[in-house]
Amino acid sequence: MDKIKILQYIILFFYVLDVRLACASLPDFHGFLETDIGVKVSDDNTKQDTFNLLEQRLQLKTTYFFEGNNYLADKGAILNFRGDFIIDEYYDGKTDFELREMSLSLTPFEFMDLKIGQQVLTWGTGDYLFINDLFPKDYVSFFIGRDDEYLKKPTPAVKMSFYPDFASIDFIIMPYFTPNTIAKGDRLSFFDSFRSGIAGIDSDRHIISPPHQFSNNEYALRIYKNINGTEFAIYFFHGYDKNPRSYKDESSKQLYYERLDAYGVSLRGSILGGIGNIETGYYNSREDSDGSNRMIENSMFKAMLGYSKDMGNDFKIGFQYMYEQRLDYDNYRDNLLPNDYFWDEFRHLLTNRITKQFKHQTVTLSLFTFYSPSDKDGYCRPSVSYDVNDHLKATLGANLPWGEDDITEFGQMKRNKNVYIRIRYNF
Amino acid sequence: MKRLILGMIYILFIMFLNKAAIYAEQLSADDIIKKANIASYYSGKDGSADVKMIITDSQGRQRIREFRILRLNIQQGGEQKFYVYFKKPADVAKMVFMVWKHLGRDDDRWLYLPALDLVRRIAASDKRSSFVGSHFVYEDVSGRGIDEDTHKLIGADEKYYKIKNIPKDTKGVEFAYYIVYIDKKTFLPMKAEYYDKENKLIKVIRALEVKNIDGYPTVVKSEVRDMVRGGNTLMEFSNVKYNVGLTEDIFTERYLRRPPVKWIR
Repeated sequence: MDKIKILQYIILFFYVLDVRLACASLPDFHGFLETDIGVKVSDDNTKQDTFNLLEQRLQLKTTYFFEGNNYLADKGAILNFRGDFIIDEYYDGKTDFELREMSLSLTPFEFMDLKIGQQVLTWGTGDYLFINDLFPKDYVSFFIGRDDEYLKKPTPAVKMSFYPDFASIDFIIMPYFTPNTIAKGDRLSFFDSFRSGIAGIDSDRHIISPPHQFSNNEYALRIYKNINGTEFAIYFFHGYDKNPRSYKDESSKQLYYERLDAYGVSLRGSILGGIGNIETGYYNSREDSDGSNRMIENSMFKAMLGYSKDMGNDFKIGFQYMYEQRLDYDNYRDNLLPNDYFWDEFRHLLTNRITKQFKHQTVTLSLFTFYSPSDKDGYCRPSVSYDVNDHLKATLGANLPWGEDDITEFGQMKRNKNVYIRIRYNF
Repeated sequence: MKRLILGMIYILFIMFLNKAAIYAEQLSADDIIKKANIASYYSGKDGSADVKMIITDSQGRQRIREFRILRLNIQQGGEQKFYVYFKKPADVAKMVFMVWKHLGRDDDRWLYLPALDLVRRIAASDKRSSFVGSHFVYEDVSGRGIDEDTHKLIGADEKYYKIKNIPKDTKGVEFAYYIVYIDKKTFLPMKAEYYDKENKLIKVIRALEVKNIDGYPTVVKSEVRDMVRGGNTLMEFSNVKYNVGLTEDIFTERYLRRPPVKWIR
């Protein structure tokens, strides 16, 4: 986070504080205080040897409903604030603040909603799998076992929603590019092609973000309709790949986020006593449309199929299958150099979620498993949590990625296995 | 000719009156259950209420759930839509649970998680699972389809009809039958006793307080007791209103993601 951004947040924070003080009725603050400890159970070359998660977190959130005789109150405006104060022992007690949400939502017209500001954005039908949800995510949080909430990363955006009779439309403008947070070697080791293998703090690659300028705005569009409980949606995205998958300059170890357009459809509804979903997407890598540039990620086709069912007695299961195909593969292969690491044309990924709750849903056992027969890798996420009372919750879990190769999505994470404990006090 | 027609109409009228009188005297079990279903779950065109659940486990530990519930009847005695906006505890505050209740097929259910901006679809095949961790099950809150059981009038006194209900399909149902006591005046079920195969009482639901709200007798306090493991849940309704003018668009993804300020405050 650069200094100007921090300054902006501080100003905004005091602005909100000021709004609060000016209000007759002060909104309530809620949130939680938590401690996370994640002990490493495999060796690698990261900043800390014994743990990859050790932090305390205070989240404060509040909602302010505008009141009185003014435009905002008239349009049902709500101000949402959610911010995390963090003491991160992984970085020797570094303090940090993360603005999770600072948004204003209102209904300027009967047929339109507006949500402006820092916000988390989500759509699509997958469970931990995303095709048309190309909003920023934090995979470091995911792999070290922070709460699911932190898989989604907030981004400043203007979200306009329209509700004509024929369908509902969401149109989102994201003026500041927010990339995914991914392993970079200090906390999590990963496959670094410049180091020819799994790298930790020895990784010295550089990642170039697109500069802030109008022509670099990202846009996302969803048109959706619910017909008797069956949900149809079509998606369009114009922006950048959120992972730095392309090379800018190999000699100076520079990677960058290549331009990406995506088109997709999804369908979700009740079937066979459960919920079925299907989603597909075509990723157009605009800087390498014919796939012949070995430095730039190719276009892709992705599809997934999912099914989940409630088996009764608080026992739920879910399965998903995802298919990925790298397009123009012949062009890609023909242009590779002899020493290049290369991607396969096809990837098949299976997932399974099992959740069982006991004692009036206060004890939750959960297991989520990724397994790719084509990449020969996988990732297990078991956890057990206990709601001691309405305030206190304890979670014990593990992150167990594995793989035969070092280059695959989960294989490269295999030295980051951890077991974590989280104690959270909600207020 | 005119006389003849008038005479016939007269005879038909008398016959109809007689029949109506007989029905009023002797309602069938099905009729009583139908009326009870309407009285319990379909009052007015729509309704809104604040609900507080106090869940006490067998060791006396208490948990509290508070939410605003909005209900819209699509068809009297048939399809309905529910919108549940959670207020407490803090970790589920602002979560929204939405149900499109159907007859003869599984309900559609959605859950909105504000921290993730995620609209999750929930499989609804199991209506006998606990509602928000309480001793009430989904069906206690939104009503059990009246065609799911066969109903038998097994007794009546001055105040109550006593009806035995046996599930047609025992799969996924934790009881063998249940006996419900329905108030003869209001048709509200005042007590329901659930029994297992060995005729052992496993669960009791009681209406503890009834108020007349806008002309609709309404159970404002009820309790369910687990007779096997112990523990109970007390459910209190406040701020109950009928015919407030809810519209169908509130029960869509639009208002899952952006709560309808007018209705949840």
